[in-house]
Amino acid sequence: MDVSAILAAHEAKKQAVTVEKEIPLELDTGLLAVTDLNPIDCESYNENLEDYLTSTARDGVQALIAALFSLPTSSSADGPLAQLPPPATQLPRAKPLPKPKPLTKWEKFARAKGIQKKRKDKKVWDEEKQEWVNKWGWKGANKDKEVQWLTEVPANADVDFNPSQAARAERKEKMAKNERKHLQNLARAQAAQGTPNESGKVPQSQRKQLIDYTLATTRVSTASMGKFDRTLEGEKKLKGVKRKFDAAEVSAEKEKSSNLTILSKLDREPAAKKSKNSSGDSVLNVRKAVRAVSGGRGSATLARKAGGKGNKGKR
Amino acid sequence: MLRTVKPKNARSKRALDAREPKEVEDARTAIFVKGSHSGEKVNNVMKDLMALKRPNAISFSKKNVVRPFEDASSLDFWSQKNDAGLFIVGQSTKKRPDGLVFVRMFDNRVLDMCEIGVEGYQAMSEFKTPKSTPGHKPLMHFASELFDTHPRFQQLKSMLMDFFNGEEIDSICLPGIEHVISVTLAPTPSSLNSATTRLDPSSSKNEDDTKSLPKIHIRTYTIKLLASGTRIPRVELVPMGPSLDLVLRRHQDPDAEVLKQAMRRPKLKKQDVEKGLGKKRKNMEVDEMGDLRGRIHVAKQDLGRLQTRKMKGLKAGQSEDVNMSDAEEDGRSTKRQKSG
Repeated sequence: MDVSAILAAHEAKKQAVTVEKEIPLELDTGLLAVTDLNPIDCESYNENLEDYLTSTARDGVQALIAALFSLPTSSSADGPLAQLPPPATQLPRAKPLPKPKPLTKWEKFARAKGIQKKRKDKKVWDEEKQEWVNKWGWKGANKDKEVQWLTEVPANADVDFNPSQAARAERKEKMAKNERKHLQNLARAQAAQGTPNESGKVPQSQRKQLIDYTLATTRVSTASMGKFDRTLEGEKKLKGVKRKFDAAEVSAEKEKSSNLTILSKLDREPAAKKSKNSSGDSVLNVRKAVRAVSGGRGSATLARKAGGKGNKGKR
Repeated sequence: MLRTVKPKNARSKRALDAREPKEVEDARTAIFVKGSHSGEKVNNVMKDLMALKRPNAISFSKKNVVRPFEDASSLDFWSQKNDAGLFIVGQSTKKRPDGLVFVRMFDNRVLDMCEIGVEGYQAMSEFKTPKSTPGHKPLMHFASELFDTHPRFQQLKSMLMDFFNGEEIDSICLPGIEHVISVTLAPTPSSLNSATTRLDPSSSKNEDDTKSLPKIHIRTYTIKLLASGTRIPRVELVPMGPSLDLVLRRHQDPDAEVLKQAMRRPKLKKQDVEKGLGKKRKNMEVDEMGDLRGRIHVAKQDLGRLQTRKMKGLKAGQSEDVNMSDAEEDGRSTKRQKSG
């Protein structure tokens, strides 16, 4: 049996799908492009332009198709999907890179504490209606208390206490608080960024101004408005900073009241001391006693010890 | 500059959000603008280019007095208004007949420009052959060594790739490959062959320089895939049109600082990298807590080679005693149960 004919046919088939070039073709499968860096053949170009163009294009496309068909594929409804590598040619972007969003106060806290974001369902199951209802918004469950036909009123409530109105006020207060926090977050983000210009950076002059402002604030924060502070080299003198004194002559009424406030302060026991002696006028200093008995280990240890002894006996 | 718009309802907010910068960008939208005078030829060329660029194309049907190389403010305005990243301005003057200006934008401002003159043109309708489906991605083919060496042609290549094929995709449907756009240069003139190496930075000296640049032939073909008996099909090309013969004219290079901004790449998220960016990476995944988890497949254990208690009776040589020793073990286990 002569198989040479079959082999030759197979070889011909292989030849038909391979492309031989002096300089190998540059393939960029990520962008579906192929670049043929071989110099243009002058003779065949002048002889028959269209044929020459078609044949060069065919060679290039054949190589590109070969590369595309040998990529790993996944199947889809419309046929195999070739998984493309990232492009080799870098093209300029049409828009700058997106800026990261400034974090809210909660997000910052959650990140520091490692709290993961939990997505909450917007719907809750209503047992009475036997259907899913919105937690808030249109026909929201958070308005149940405002519309229910009977409400329990606390015993110490006013005569004109309106429970539905109170519930509504509470809900509205929550909304207002949320909005307030939102605005504060916006302001914080703005302050952290300064007011950035087009390139997205706070200009240096503005940052400098901000530092100067902070420094000036600290310099006038002493009782003497920074008069006796040590000055650094090259520090400028602040302008327009003056101490303000009370007027020498004030009405007798005012003088009396101010003096009385001073006197009342003198008579008062300091807050820190007050809390220590909260046990009243007992002779025994409980804290000291506990410390002495427990050997400085605290009342909890003491209690455990006493309890433990009792338990042991029972067993 | 347009004033910044604050969205008043959810729909307009969504529309504005869609225009915000993205990490991985969509295809650039191209606007086709007619200058103060554009001849029939240029109009038809623009129509055919638009047919290839659809659906990311907008046509300005009226004439506009616009000179991109002198004053680009109108382009900036249109770019912002239409969220477009590319312009093709068709203009025909006595000095520069049948001109097309390709303008690329960055951040709604002109990045670079490239003017070409149309010399030979055959419309798509002149070819009585099957056409490609609008919206399908073309393959691109460039042929000449100048695309690697000459700055003008590097720019042209980049511009055309951005125009026809700029969108980054991670997969393509193989039966959907229908057509190819081939860009071939005329033979490199001898002056350019030696000059490019010597006078590289000053290559855009003056008008004379563009005269010596070779012609550009853009051809469009549909691809016929024939069975070859192997996995890879044999390719045959059928001309589809349009076919263009072009010359390079004026150009404007991008500002170095702006180009640097434009070439910035997003830092890819760790999770995306772990997932292999579309490449197959088996048995590894990042769970929602951010931990990399692996799956290990253990082959079936060969219990026959398990080392149990060493006993004289269980030695390798005494294989005939296996049954006996089994029985013995069983007996012991029952005994232990009783005692426990």
